[in-house]
Amino acid sequence: MKCEWVQQNIVLFVYDELPDDARYELEQHVSRCTGCAGELESAKRFRTNFSRSPIQEPSPNFLAASRMKLQEALESAEQGAWWHRYIFDPAAWLHQIRFAPALAVAIFMVGFGGGIGATYKMLRTQPDFPSGSPAPAPVQASIGAIQSVAQQPGSNQVTIKYDAVSPQVRTGSLNDPNIQQLLLYAARNNFNPGVRMDSVDLLTQQPSDTHVREALIYALRYDSNTGVRLKALDGLGPAVKGDVQVRDAVLEALMSDANPGVRIEALRLLVPVRADSSVRIVLQRLAAKDENRYIRSQARTLLSQLPEMN
Amino acid sequence: MLSQVPRRIDDTMLVREAQRGNRAAFEELVRHYDQAVLRLALHLTGSEHEAQDIYQDAFLKAYKSIGRFRFECSFYTWIYRIVTNLCLDQIRRKQVRKEDAPVAVDSEGEQFDVLAQVADGRSGANPERDLMRRELGGRIGKALEKLTPRERMVFELKHYHGLKLRTVGEVLNTTEETAKNTLFRATQKLRGALGDLR
Repeated sequence: MKCEWVQQNIVLFVYDELPDDARYELEQHVSRCTGCAGELESAKRFRTNFSRSPIQEPSPNFLAASRMKLQEALESAEQGAWWHRYIFDPAAWLHQIRFAPALAVAIFMVGFGGGIGATYKMLRTQPDFPSGSPAPAPVQASIGAIQSVAQQPGSNQVTIKYDAVSPQVRTGSLNDPNIQQLLLYAARNNFNPGVRMDSVDLLTQQPSDTHVREALIYALRYDSNTGVRLKALDGLGPAVKGDVQVRDAVLEALMSDANPGVRIEALRLLVPVRADSSVRIVLQRLAAKDENRYIRSQARTLLSQLPEMN
Repeated sequence: MLSQVPRRIDDTMLVREAQRGNRAAFEELVRHYDQAVLRLALHLTGSEHEAQDIYQDAFLKAYKSIGRFRFECSFYTWIYRIVTNLCLDQIRRKQVRKEDAPVAVDSEGEQFDVLAQVADGRSGANPERDLMRRELGGRIGKALEKLTPRERMVFELKHYHGLKLRTVGEVLNTTEETAKNTLFRATQKLRGALGDLR
C-alpha cells in the first residue's frame, strides 16, 4: 500500500506539490525501498528531459507588434456598461455554488419556501369582509409574506392572513432624510449586491454622518460581496485617522477579510496611523505569521519604519 | 508610504480604475501579463499568427467584460482562465482537423519547429548538441500530441509556466485534486512515450 501511495505521489513530489509532511514520508520510504527509489529517479529524469526543451519566449518585436495591434483594437472596442456588473451572470453564479453544496441547499430552501408563500399578484381586498359579499374594486398589490392559513371547521371557508407590499418610488437629494434612510436600509438589507453597492457608493459621499459611517462599517464587516466591502473601505478611508471605531473596523478587515485585495487596501489605509499602538500590534502579528507573503513583507517594512517602543 | 507597490495592490486598483472606464489603467494591466499570455499561446499553438489572435481575443474579451469582474479571484487567474479557454478551443479544433504537429511560422513565412531549440548561430556553438536538442524537441512535440486537450493544458501550465496546481485548478474551473489527477495521467502518458530517453 505504501509503495502504491508513493507511486501515485512521485510526480507531485518532483513538481514540488506535496505538503511538507507527505514529502518527508515519501523521502523516508524511498530511502528504504529500491523499487520506489528507481521510480523517483525515472520521474526526475523525465522532468529534466522536458526541461532540456524549454519554452520559447516571444521575441521583443513580436510582443511589441502584438501590443500595437491590441491597442488599435481597444480604441474601437466598447467596454461593457458600468451596470453590467449588476447583471446576474448565471455561469459565474453556478461556478460559485458548484463547490458550495451547503449554500446550494440553503438557496434551494429559501427559493422553495419563498415560492410557496410569497410574491404572487392578487387583487387587494378589505382585510375582513363578510362571506358571500362581492369583493371590492381591486387595487393591485404584491404579497409580502403569508402569516397564517386556517380553515373554518365544517366549511370550505379559508382565512389567510398576509402582508401586502406595494412598489413605491421616491426621488430626492442625498440630503433628504427619507432618501438617506432608504439608502441606509438598502446598504444592509438588499439581496442584490448591485443595489447594495450603489447604495454604499452614494453613502460614501457623506462619510461624516454618524449613521452613514455605521452603515459603511457594517458593510465592511459583514457584506458578502467583495466589491461592496471595497466600496465601503473607500468611504471610510478619510476617517481612519480621526475615528477609532473606523480604525478598528479597518484593522479587522486587514486581519480577517477573506479577500486579499480588501486586506491589502485596508493595510494601505492604515499607513498614516501605523504608529498607533493597536495598529502596531496587528502589524507585528501579521509580520510574524500571516499566510499572505506580500502582507507579511509590507507589515515588516512598516514596522521597520517605526521608532522602537520603550 | 508603502515602499514597493506590489502586483496584487496594483491589480486591484488598476481593475477598479478600468471598471470606471480608464483605458490607460487597463493597458497597464495588459502590460503586467501579456508576455506570459503570449508565451502560453505561442507554445500551445505553435503559430505566431494564431498566438497573436488568441492574445488579442483574450484581452479584448477581458476589456469588454471587466465591468463584470467581482474580485472573486485575482485578475491573474481571471486572465489566465480566458486565455486557456481560447487555447483549449484551438487545440480541440486542431484535433478535429487532425492537423500536423505544430510548427511556427515567422514573419518571413519560414517554418520552424517551436518545440525544438533554435540553433545557436554564435561561433563555438555545438551542432551535434543542437541536433540532439532538435530531435528531443520533435519527440516531445509528438508525445504532447498524445495528450487530451485538458491534460496538455494542465501539463503546460504546471511544467512550462510553473503554476501551482491549486492555481491551475482555479484557472481551469476545477479542483486542485482534479488538476493533480490530470497531471498524473499526463505524465504517465508522456513517460510512456519517451521511456527510452536517458
